[in-house]
Amino acid sequence: MVDDVLVPMDGSEMSERALEYALEVFPEADITVLHVVGEPSSMWAGATGLALADDLEEAANEHAAEVFERAREIATDADADVDLDTEVELGHPVRAIVGSAADHETVVIGSHGGSIADRVFVGNVAEKVFRRSPVPVVVVR
Amino acid sequence: MVETVLLVGIVASIFVGFNIGGSSTGITWGPSVGAGIVTKTTAAAVMTFFVFFGGWTVGRNVMDTLSEGIITIDLTLTAGVAVLFFIGLGMLVANIFGVPVPTSMTTVGAIAGLGLATGTLNYATIAEIITWWIVTPVIGLWIGVLIGRYIYPWVNHRVDIEKSDGPLLRLERRGSIPTPALGPNTTQQELGTTLAVFIIGCYMAFSAGASNVPNAAAPLVGTIDGLEANTAIIIATLAIGLGGFTIARRTMESVGGELSDIPLLAALFVMVTASTITTILSWAGIPISLVMATVMTIVGIGWGRATRPITVRKAVTRDVENRDIESGAIVAEEKVGETAPKIGEPESDEVLRGADLFNPRAIIKYVSMWIIGPSMSTILAYGFFTALPGIA
Repeated sequence: MVDDVLVPMDGSEMSERALEYALEVFPEADITVLHVVGEPSSMWAGATGLALADDLEEAANEHAAEVFERAREIATDADADVDLDTEVELGHPVRAIVGSAADHETVVIGSHGGSIADRVFVGNVAEKVFRRSPVPVVVVR
Repeated sequence: MVETVLLVGIVASIFVGFNIGGSSTGITWGPSVGAGIVTKTTAAAVMTFFVFFGGWTVGRNVMDTLSEGIITIDLTLTAGVAVLFFIGLGMLVANIFGVPVPTSMTTVGAIAGLGLATGTLNYATIAEIITWWIVTPVIGLWIGVLIGRYIYPWVNHRVDIEKSDGPLLRLERRGSIPTPALGPNTTQQELGTTLAVFIIGCYMAFSAGASNVPNAAAPLVGTIDGLEANTAIIIATLAIGLGGFTIARRTMESVGGELSDIPLLAALFVMVTASTITTILSWAGIPISLVMATVMTIVGIGWGRATRPITVRKAVTRDVENRDIESGAIVAEEKVGETAPKIGEPESDEVLRGADLFNPRAIIKYVSMWIIGPSMSTILAYGFFTALPGIA
């Protein structure tokens, strides 16, 4: 029985579907939603904006709050009786996700996030997580 | 026949200029428009004027390099038109995939491909240009780091850029002659910072003109059948202006929106640094991309700020093992007054570290775009002009 699941969410539709799937398939499990802020973008402004914030941690949490709120809505809609845990990480999504995967039993991840530009700069996150993760990965498509 | 080719060339030049106008207006005025300091229409109008100014003055040096420096013979009109199509192709790729392909580098690549195919490449010039392409990002990054680490935090605590409600200025009608006075909520500092933002925008528009007008104009200049330099500059400016008034409305939100993720003050530092680098190099006749200098300065400022916890001495002696402990101390010091995490927001178990934002490998991947872009245009142009030698 899997009872500790990590769901990395970037706010995209695919990542929301991953959460829905996780709620449905692992109804008994503790679910941790992970959001990575300040990922590489085409001009790196997101990362720099965070780095310039007076309080890095607070700025990061603020960025992540929206994604977590949406995640809780999804959990409520699914009538899931779980209390979502949340986790914020900085920087490169793949490194951050693989890094925290070790603390969980399974990773449930959407097959892709955003545009082609994201793919160029960040690569296909799901694919790399799938290859490097120390724990089993479920890729939702 | 010549007229037809020239007409096609002018259309291609307008297409290139139009796209340049869209992207560079977005970068130049995105932050100011985002902060509500100028309207999009004002931005486009001011942009057009300063682009012309930059292209007419400093831009001529770059134009000379492009049309007669890189290859030892004069560019023929047909070859120039073909080159314009390769520049346009690069922009199309950039627009479709949303990746910043530096136009100046694509242009140089296409002309170099032509030179390779016809055996007329001026290796000394191309070597000089490539050297600057390597040195410039390093300089941009370094200046950015210095600003982010030492200057930005200091200035940030002393300057407050704000936009108050109501007009900035009003006319004081009480005297015999109406004189301008501060608006209802305007402070002296607001007037000063708004003016500074505006002037810096003009400066960046100038450097955008100096570096970008030649891309659209140069391929049509320098031949018997081609255009006069002045005519080509005017056409390129008009096309850039057209792009500024139309598609820039969107790019100010996408490309410029990127820039508005960083505080306006930091954006201004970035703009001044990038514009200065670009203007100086353009003045020296080196084709350089404004985007390149901009991105490297952004990364530099963020990285410089994020690495404050490490002292220079430690970085030099590579004694950074204690970084965790130290950054923890600094973060804690900054958070005086904060107590429990917000309700519903479980405390993250590890201290977030700013340096994690700037993964060197991700930056290398990004920079490689600048190698792939011009390389592709060189290879494509080489293949094209080798297969169809009549065009060159």
